[in-house]
Amino acid sequence: MTRTGEVPQLELRDVTHRYNGKVVLDVPHLSIQRGKIYCVVGPNGSGKTTLLSIMNLLIRPTTGQLFFEGEPIQYEGGNRLELQRSMAMTLQSPYLFNTTVEGNIAYGLRARGIPRKDRDAIIEDALRQVGLRGFARRRARELSGGEVQLVAIARALVIDPKILFLDEPTANVDTSHIRQLEEVVAAINGDRGTTIILTTHNVSQAYRLADHVFPLFEGRLVSSTMHNVFGGSVKTSPEGPYFDTGKIQVWIPQGFSSASSKYISVNPEDIIVSKEPFASSARNRYEGTITQVIAQEGRVDLVVDGGEIFRVQITEHSFRRLGLNVGSRVYVTFKATCVHLL
Amino acid sequence: MITLQQTNYAFSLNFKGLIVGRTMEYLFEAFGDCMGLIFCFDREIYGIVGRSVVFALTATLLATLFAVPMGFLVGTRRFRGKSGLLTVMNTLMALPTVVIGLLAYGLFSRRAPLGFLDLLFSPAAVIIGEFILSLPIIANLTVSAVQAVDSRAILTAKSLGAGRAMVTWTVLVEARFSLLAAIIAGFGRAVSEVGSAMMLGGNIRFYTRTMTTAIALETSKGEFGFGLALGFFLLLVVFSMNILFHFLQGKGRRS
Repeated sequence: MTRTGEVPQLELRDVTHRYNGKVVLDVPHLSIQRGKIYCVVGPNGSGKTTLLSIMNLLIRPTTGQLFFEGEPIQYEGGNRLELQRSMAMTLQSPYLFNTTVEGNIAYGLRARGIPRKDRDAIIEDALRQVGLRGFARRRARELSGGEVQLVAIARALVIDPKILFLDEPTANVDTSHIRQLEEVVAAINGDRGTTIILTTHNVSQAYRLADHVFPLFEGRLVSSTMHNVFGGSVKTSPEGPYFDTGKIQVWIPQGFSSASSKYISVNPEDIIVSKEPFASSARNRYEGTITQVIAQEGRVDLVVDGGEIFRVQITEHSFRRLGLNVGSRVYVTFKATCVHLL
Repeated sequence: MITLQQTNYAFSLNFKGLIVGRTMEYLFEAFGDCMGLIFCFDREIYGIVGRSVVFALTATLLATLFAVPMGFLVGTRRFRGKSGLLTVMNTLMALPTVVIGLLAYGLFSRRAPLGFLDLLFSPAAVIIGEFILSLPIIANLTVSAVQAVDSRAILTAKSLGAGRAMVTWTVLVEARFSLLAAIIAGFGRAVSEVGSAMMLGGNIRFYTRTMTTAIALETSKGEFGFGLALGFFLLLVVFSMNILFHFLQGKGRRS
């Protein structure tokens, strides 16, 4: 139960998954509420697809328990297939069966025994929702990457899933289709109230689309976003512990327990950008050059090469006031307590 | 001045030309006889053709029923001894037809373990022989066909709520063109074999005589031309069957 007393639509407790003896996923607790959009964000190999496949009951976790609307999932001869049929998933690189678009979209309906006469209207409605009206008779293998992804979503939509899983829906899609896909995802959630769980490695997209963002790193849900993740090792000095990336040294809080951690991260919002060094309690300060400026609805993301590549988020107002641009020399400053050990 | 060597060479060319010329004449004659066989509408000839096709189709159909599920299981499951089994299956593809004939003869002859079934020198025995021959071919090619199906097909089918039977059917449908090619290859093996049909069927006129056993008989009588004409007829039959299969494949592609 959540704090509001509502039973989560899907809940994971103490879920771990091993592959070839190695723990690839370790999720102590994850709770999904109905009607929301969730985004699992993380780099390649972070375990996003494994997490999605476990939540969609395609993979049985090595340990742990899943609950669907409070009901525990039973894998062998239990309710797995029945519950799985109330969800749908599209793969990162969707596979369309070697038939027509219509044949593909009808697949889930056939699996549920929906009579042929009732299928046409459902298929037509799904195609309309994804913006592919008139595509029913087209050969699935003759579609573009974006159209394939939209057909896969339509195929998942027709079964009216309670939860729709989208694994990297925009990964193999040209830029013209990305916005269309994002609109389709928002519309499905808005019109049908479908819970949507999607994965992406695009942090901006995650925050743009989702009600909740779960950063996933090396199979673990972490509190920080996936920008400014640096690899290295924890070291100690008379002035306190620091993290050595090989290029820069980052001060970390005293008494950092996870000395075995190999990665740290810093939230882009926690980094201060200035044109001159200034006196403060922040111990980490690096001089660098702005290599990229990305304008994002009301704020500006800066990419600063300061030994390591930092992503910094500032307001448009600050950006204009400081007169920054690509090539500007700046200082990036953040406190040791803003460093997260992953 | 013409040298001895040149004369020999010219003689050799003339001799080769004679042979090539006679061979072509022989082939044209056989082809003409073949056309004669087709258009004479002889009851016996058409009976032989019909029997060949029916025996081979029946054997292929039965082999498909066993070989496709077997090939699917071997192709999609992981189990101990799989590579050994695949090697055995590959070896069985090269099984000589007379060996099958001998083995089956040993089983079906009157005093043999299955002698009480009274199958020897019957159409059923010919079909069993052809069944054993086409089974490993269809099974092996089914293994290749299902292994060539994209692994995402199974994952997609499961994620859309397909049960085990529907997942299996989906994989077979995705592999349908290769499967049809496997069945065509199995049919080709069945319709063209002579060793086991001769030993198990006995080449009995109006009963177990097929095109291949008839060709063998005519050849043994020295009727090479007639044997070759029957051979052309057999090729035409197989060619027609292949056109039919390809038509079905094309229809599948369009649907």
